[in-house]
Amino acid sequence: MQQTQTRKKRRGPFHTMLPFWLILPTVLVLLAIQVYPAFYTIWLSFHERQPQGWEYVGLNNFVRLLGMGVFSESVGHTIVFLVGYTSLTLVLGFIIALLLNRKLKLSGLYVTLLFIPWIIADIIVGIVFRLLVVPDYGLLSGILQNPAIFPPNGISVLTATRPPSWFGGFPFPPALAMIYLIMASAWRALPFITLLLLAAMQTVSTEVIESSRIDGANGWQVVRRIMIPLMLPTLVVALFSLTLGGMNGVGMVFSLTGGGPGSATEVLSYLLYVLGWSQLNFGRAAALAMLIAVVNWILILSTLRVTRVEERTH
Amino acid sequence: MKRLWTLMSMLVLASLILSACVAPATAPAAAPAGGEAAPSGEVKDFITWYQYDEKNEDPASDERVGNQYLRDTIPQFNEAFAGKWNWVNQPKAWDRMNAELVAAVQAGGDVPDLFDMGSSGLSLLYQNGALQDLSEWAKAQSWYADMDPNALAACTGPDGGLYCIPIAERPHLVYVWKDRFPDGFPTTPDGYLAEGERLKGEGLYAMTFFGSTDFDGSGATRAVFMTFASFGGGYDDGQGNMLLNTPENVAAVEFLRSMVQNGYVPEIAFAGGFQEENAFKDASAGSFPTGLFGYRYVNPLTAPNGTQYSKGNEEDMLDAIAAGDVVLAPFPAVEGQKPGCNNEVTGFGIPVGAKNPEAAQDYINWIMSPEQNPDWVLRPGAGFPALMTSRGLEQFQTPFYQQAGDVVAASACRPWHGSLERRPEAQRLIMGAVYKLIKEDPTADIATVLQAAQDEYNAGN
Amino acid sequence: MFGVSRRRLNVWLVNLALVVICIFALIPVVTTVVISFKGERDIIRKPPNFLPCDTPTSAFDPTACRWSVEGYQRVLSPKPSEGGLLPFALTGNIVRVYIPNSFLYATSTALIVVFLAGMSGYAFSRYRFRGRSLLLFAILAITGVPLLTNLLALYQMGVVIRKAQVPFYDDRLFLVAVYTGFFLPLSVWIAKGFFDAIPRELEEAAVIDGCSPFSALLRISMPLALPGLMAVFLLTFVNVWNEFIAGYLLIAKNEFKPAMFGLYEFLGQNIINLQVVAAACILIALPIVVLFIFARRSFFAAMVEGAIKG
Repeated sequence: MQQTQTRKKRRGPFHTMLPFWLILPTVLVLLAIQVYPAFYTIWLSFHERQPQGWEYVGLNNFVRLLGMGVFSESVGHTIVFLVGYTSLTLVLGFIIALLLNRKLKLSGLYVTLLFIPWIIADIIVGIVFRLLVVPDYGLLSGILQNPAIFPPNGISVLTATRPPSWFGGFPFPPALAMIYLIMASAWRALPFITLLLLAAMQTVSTEVIESSRIDGANGWQVVRRIMIPLMLPTLVVALFSLTLGGMNGVGMVFSLTGGGPGSATEVLSYLLYVLGWSQLNFGRAAALAMLIAVVNWILILSTLRVTRVEERTH
Repeated sequence: MKRLWTLMSMLVLASLILSACVAPATAPAAAPAGGEAAPSGEVKDFITWYQYDEKNEDPASDERVGNQYLRDTIPQFNEAFAGKWNWVNQPKAWDRMNAELVAAVQAGGDVPDLFDMGSSGLSLLYQNGALQDLSEWAKAQSWYADMDPNALAACTGPDGGLYCIPIAERPHLVYVWKDRFPDGFPTTPDGYLAEGERLKGEGLYAMTFFGSTDFDGSGATRAVFMTFASFGGGYDDGQGNMLLNTPENVAAVEFLRSMVQNGYVPEIAFAGGFQEENAFKDASAGSFPTGLFGYRYVNPLTAPNGTQYSKGNEEDMLDAIAAGDVVLAPFPAVEGQKPGCNNEVTGFGIPVGAKNPEAAQDYINWIMSPEQNPDWVLRPGAGFPALMTSRGLEQFQTPFYQQAGDVVAASACRPWHGSLERRPEAQRLIMGAVYKLIKEDPTADIATVLQAAQDEYNAGN
Repeated sequence: MFGVSRRRLNVWLVNLALVVICIFALIPVVTTVVISFKGERDIIRKPPNFLPCDTPTSAFDPTACRWSVEGYQRVLSPKPSEGGLLPFALTGNIVRVYIPNSFLYATSTALIVVFLAGMSGYAFSRYRFRGRSLLLFAILAITGVPLLTNLLALYQMGVVIRKAQVPFYDDRLFLVAVYTGFFLPLSVWIAKGFFDAIPRELEEAAVIDGCSPFSALLRISMPLALPGLMAVFLLTFVNVWNEFIAGYLLIAKNEFKPAMFGLYEFLGQNIINLQVVAAACILIALPIVVLFIFARRSFFAAMVEGAIKG
């Protein structure tokens, strides 16, 4: 720190200002494309549209938003979705990373094939999964809707009735469509998480593992006592990154279920789309956006905390 | 890394070439279509927003009928107004048109001179200040006196202004495969249920309908409203408040619930999109309550007796009706009630900020002419003419229109929204509640759920 | 002896497990390809059959397969044309307009992002100045506000610029600017990470040898950072290609639609045309999958860097 400062003094004004000039264009772009709209959203959340123009309504948008039946439902769906999506992806990703961690001849091929889902757009993944279960005509529907295989009437993923809730209003157990949405989302996120965990796994030194093997630890004990503790920061980062993506992604819901059947897959990000761009209730949408932003900020902040701790320990 | 570099430079090169090729390829597409009609320098573009795309020649497109209509009509208009107007249509997705117009008006962006719209969207567009009040101009036109007063009422905003010019009325009714109901289509809900049980025994369904909550609950404007109204119910109290929790509405929901829970309705009715139509196309469902305009979309058809109607356009349904395989019927109503139905109006609005409103006025007058009016009403309008004299024209004396006229005369049709002003919010709440009651939770207390939706809406009044 | 064969068995089992996982991972892709080559007759069958290869007499007869390119035909709508390179021209909007548009948006956004993120990533990595950590954090935090409502402000901004009649302006330029703003924050962090990994001693040596810091940046650090910047380029390219909602809400003209938006046209609401939808999906996803297979190492580097830092 001190060194750089003394060195700076030796140079001319242009060089002192170099970092400023290097960063300025980025800051300008972000001010225009991200910061200004964000402030506009804050402004919107206190206003409502009338035929004559925008009218200041105080906290009314927030009050009405919280009073919507579908809002509290969406919170429940979002929680169910996030828990299912993150745990499914992390567990499967960990297992696949463990398998890939054995340096096999074909590893490169496996990795390439396994990664194709990640590169496909969420909107296309939604459509592809929808094609499989279109009632009557989808290839999976042919099996699922067969009463001989699934008595009494077969199963239709996109229209199946929600099972009765175990906890009052909380949507658990989830609707079939929600489970399917979680599977599709996990399918797309899995490669990314696998890669992340694989990279972390490869930093766990083989000597530590070998020595614990000699001490008589079996495979599961090695994973539980050595790998998971050493990989904890990465696991947390993976968890936060999945949560952040799951919290804000709208493409998959948009093209796979459209929030249905009924409101069974209506999550907060989709409600935001509906309020804003389908019902044109920008004020209320902005209020919801503010609530989502707070959750996002908490997640971003926590991720930074964890990575900073990780950097220090390394 | 070397390979990567090669790849990247190839990408950049390819994109440069592509973009160079694209620019000249798309520029003419954006330019005026009628090349010959531009000798004088005064020709101005007349911009319209339709949900149809004259450039889409896909014979299996959802909107093939409307697309073809524009393809046929744009040259005619440009000829009729040669030297003055040049019609440029900008196709829009039907479920996003209103949103786009509102966003464009609020931001002061490019709006069309003419906007193809339905009366359902009126309140949303009015609330956002997107439409011009046309009453003064309209009253001075010769066709104004000839308008069906109901159609004009549907285009009237809360402040009494006229915000759209109605061209066609689209009442809702029931399309019926005649052979599926040998004793005739039932006239009471109990009869409907009995037929459902009989058809179920044959592996068939009595009814398919728009049962999903898709498109912001647009199902609330279709069969659900017909059921409510045929039980003597409705959605509002006439004072702008939602009124759902009434004995009539509870009975209507009970009926729908029985239809669904007893298996008289195919699962595909709830699949979203407009997939419920497929159950009628192959005659696995015997009846289909929907808008009159449904004939434009529901094709090709296979009758119960195996007859194929496979032109793949609006003529299939008309042929099936002419052949007597499909008949039109009012929705079964409880004793003492007239069959209910939703009546929507489709027509034109002129957005605030339109550059050439005179072009839109010329266009509307042109569409009102006896040469153009029936064509518009028959194809994109898919309903009854709002002009009373047009109803007497030969084109509207077909078996289809005669039957439809009888059905409408026997029913009490009215706009679904009544006095409700926040229509997108209302239809979403209503359809959400009805879906929950009839499909998702057959044990839920009907009155409680209806009351909750009603309270939520009224909290915003 | 026993140990070796057990080890071999283990390897064999792991391979088997991975093959099974790969198959599962690719089932949706494979079925989509199969669907895209079916004809309408086989699409609207109830119940559906996986391969269109059954005959009245046998459930599977490879010689009787009814493969069809109907779906691709409807997406591409080839029309006979004279004087061209091919005897027919592909007139479908997807290939004629939308995919070239996506290509244009993705390439230009990625180039701008690489340039901006490279500069600021270098500054953040090499200099310690007041407000550095705060700025770095702010760049990330600003992405926390959901895009969907930001798009309203951006839409209005686009209209204002259009009305001001800025020279050379059109909606495409604006969309590229918006995408740049969307994907810049993470790219800055990724670029910074790559610069962090380059030993600073190299530049210092160059400065001592008489280079100015700026030319040290150009001559020493940039070449070393190229793999990293390449990764940023590819990641941004894919992100823009796959982005749907901004293009969907900001682009009004058909001629400017990106591919993801164009795909929407094929999602017929009342017609069962799974083969057409599948064909359109494949045509749009194919370029990016090919790109990925060629450049996967670069992708992996960017993904890991991006995830750890942000």
